[in-house]
Amino acid sequence: MSQVFKVKVNGQHELTVDASQGNTLLEALEQAGLEPHYHCRNGFCGACRVQLTAGDVTYINDPLAFIRPGDCLACCCVPASDIEINQ
Amino acid sequence: MSYSTFNKNQINPLKEPMFFGNSVNVARYDQQKHSVFEKLIEKQISFFWRPEEVDVSRDRVDFQALTESEKHIFISNLKYQTLLDSVQGRSPNIALLPIVSIPELETWIETWSFFETIHSRSYTHILRNLFTDPSEVFEDIVINEEIQKRANDISKYYDDLIFYTQLWQTHGEGEWEVDGAKHIVNMRELKKKLFLCINSVNALEAVRFYVSFACTFAFAERDLMEGNSKIIRLIARDENLHLVSTQQIINLWQYGQDDPEMKEIAEELREEALQIFMNAVEQEKQWAHYLFRNGSMIGLNEEMLCQYVEYIANMRMEAIGFDAPFKQRSNPLPWMNKYLVSDNVQVAPQEAEITSYLVGQIDSEVSASDLGDFEL
Repeated sequence: MSQVFKVKVNGQHELTVDASQGNTLLEALEQAGLEPHYHCRNGFCGACRVQLTAGDVTYINDPLAFIRPGDCLACCCVPASDIEINQ
Repeated sequence: MSYSTFNKNQINPLKEPMFFGNSVNVARYDQQKHSVFEKLIEKQISFFWRPEEVDVSRDRVDFQALTESEKHIFISNLKYQTLLDSVQGRSPNIALLPIVSIPELETWIETWSFFETIHSRSYTHILRNLFTDPSEVFEDIVINEEIQKRANDISKYYDDLIFYTQLWQTHGEGEWEVDGAKHIVNMRELKKKLFLCINSVNALEAVRFYVSFACTFAFAERDLMEGNSKIIRLIARDENLHLVSTQQIINLWQYGQDDPEMKEIAEELREEALQIFMNAVEQEKQWAHYLFRNGSMIGLNEEMLCQYVEYIANMRMEAIGFDAPFKQRSNPLPWMNKYLVSDNVQVAPQEAEITSYLVGQIDSEVSASDLGDFEL
C-alpha cells in the first residue's frame, strides 16, 4: 500500500509526505518551510501540537504529552491517511 | 481520614481516583490506571544528571566582564529560580503525597520532587563558582520584594491545600476553628483546593521559568556563561516533563477519565483556573520589567521577553483547553528552540549528542553468526 499522503495545512498549503521515509510530520512541515512550533522534538513537551481536522496519524514514538481529542503531536507522528491540519 | 503509611485494607488501585481515594499500600507497577505516569518516571530517570558534571569554571571570568545591568539580570534570575525550585523540591511531596491514591502517580510525584532538588543543588554549584561567599545572594531571596511578590502566589495554593488536608486527616469533615478562624472541611472543598493547586503548579512549570531561561540562553548566544547555560538546558528539559505531568492531570480530570467529581469542579472553577494562569503571565512580564530596569542586554529587551511569555503562554493554555488569549502566535526568540530540543542537551561535556544515560548497556542478543570468524 502506498505510504504517500497529502497534508493540507491551514486549508491552503498542500504538501505530500511519504510516511515510509521515517520523517515525522514536524520535519515534513519544516521542509516545506512552514516554521512549525516545537521544543523537545521528543513527544514530551507538547509544543508541536497541531489541530488534526481530517484524517489519521500514526505515532512512531510514544508521546507523553496529553493529546486532546482533535489534536496531534507533529514531532512524533506520521500521516496514516491524507490529513488536514491547522497550526 | 488519618493517613497510614501502609493502608491495610484490600484496595484495587485500578479503581481509585488519582487523589482523595484510599491511600496507596503496595507500590506496584505491573498494573496501572494511568500508565503515562510510569512512562514519565522512566523518562525522568533516564534524564538523570549531576550539577558537578558540568564545568562552570569559565563562567567566573565571563561574569567579571559583564556590565552591572547584565550582572543584575543574571543574578536576579538565579535567585528567582532558586525560589521556584526550593518550593518545588518539597511542595509536591508535602501537599500531594498524603492524598494520592495510585502507586504510579505517587512515585512520579517523588521522582519529580527529587529532580527539583537536583536543580536547587545546581544553583549552589553555579553561585559557589561565581562568588567566594554566595550567602548574600541566597539571603536576599527572602528579603527581595520582587521575589516575595512571586513567592506568595506560588506557595499560597499549596499551603491552603496542605492546611485543609491536615485538618481533614486529623479531625475529619466538619467545621473547625483554628486560631480564631473558622474552616469548613468537606471533600468538595478539599478537591477544589487540589484543583486550584494543580493549576497553579501547572502555570508555574509552564511559564514562570521561561523569562530566566530566555536570559540564560541569550547570554549563551553570545558565548557567555556557557557552563550555566548547559545546566539550565538540563533544567529546562526536566521542567518540560514536569509540565506534561500537570497537564496530564488537568486533562484527565477535564475529560472525565478520572474522578467524575473533579470533572464537575474543573468546569465550575474554569474561570478561576484561567485567572491563576493570567496572573502568572502578568507577574512574569513584571519580572522582565524588573530585570531590565537598569538597562537591557545585547539580543534581548523587555518587549521581546514579554512577547515570548505571551507566545509560550498561548501554547501552554491551549494544552489545557483554554483559548489562546494573546496575539503573539509566532516565536519572537527563534534561537530559544535550539536550547530546548531534548536531543541537543549535553548531559556531560564528553557526551555531545545523547539524550539519556544508558548505564551498563549490554547487547544481550548474540547470534551464532556473530562468532562466525572465531576460531580455536
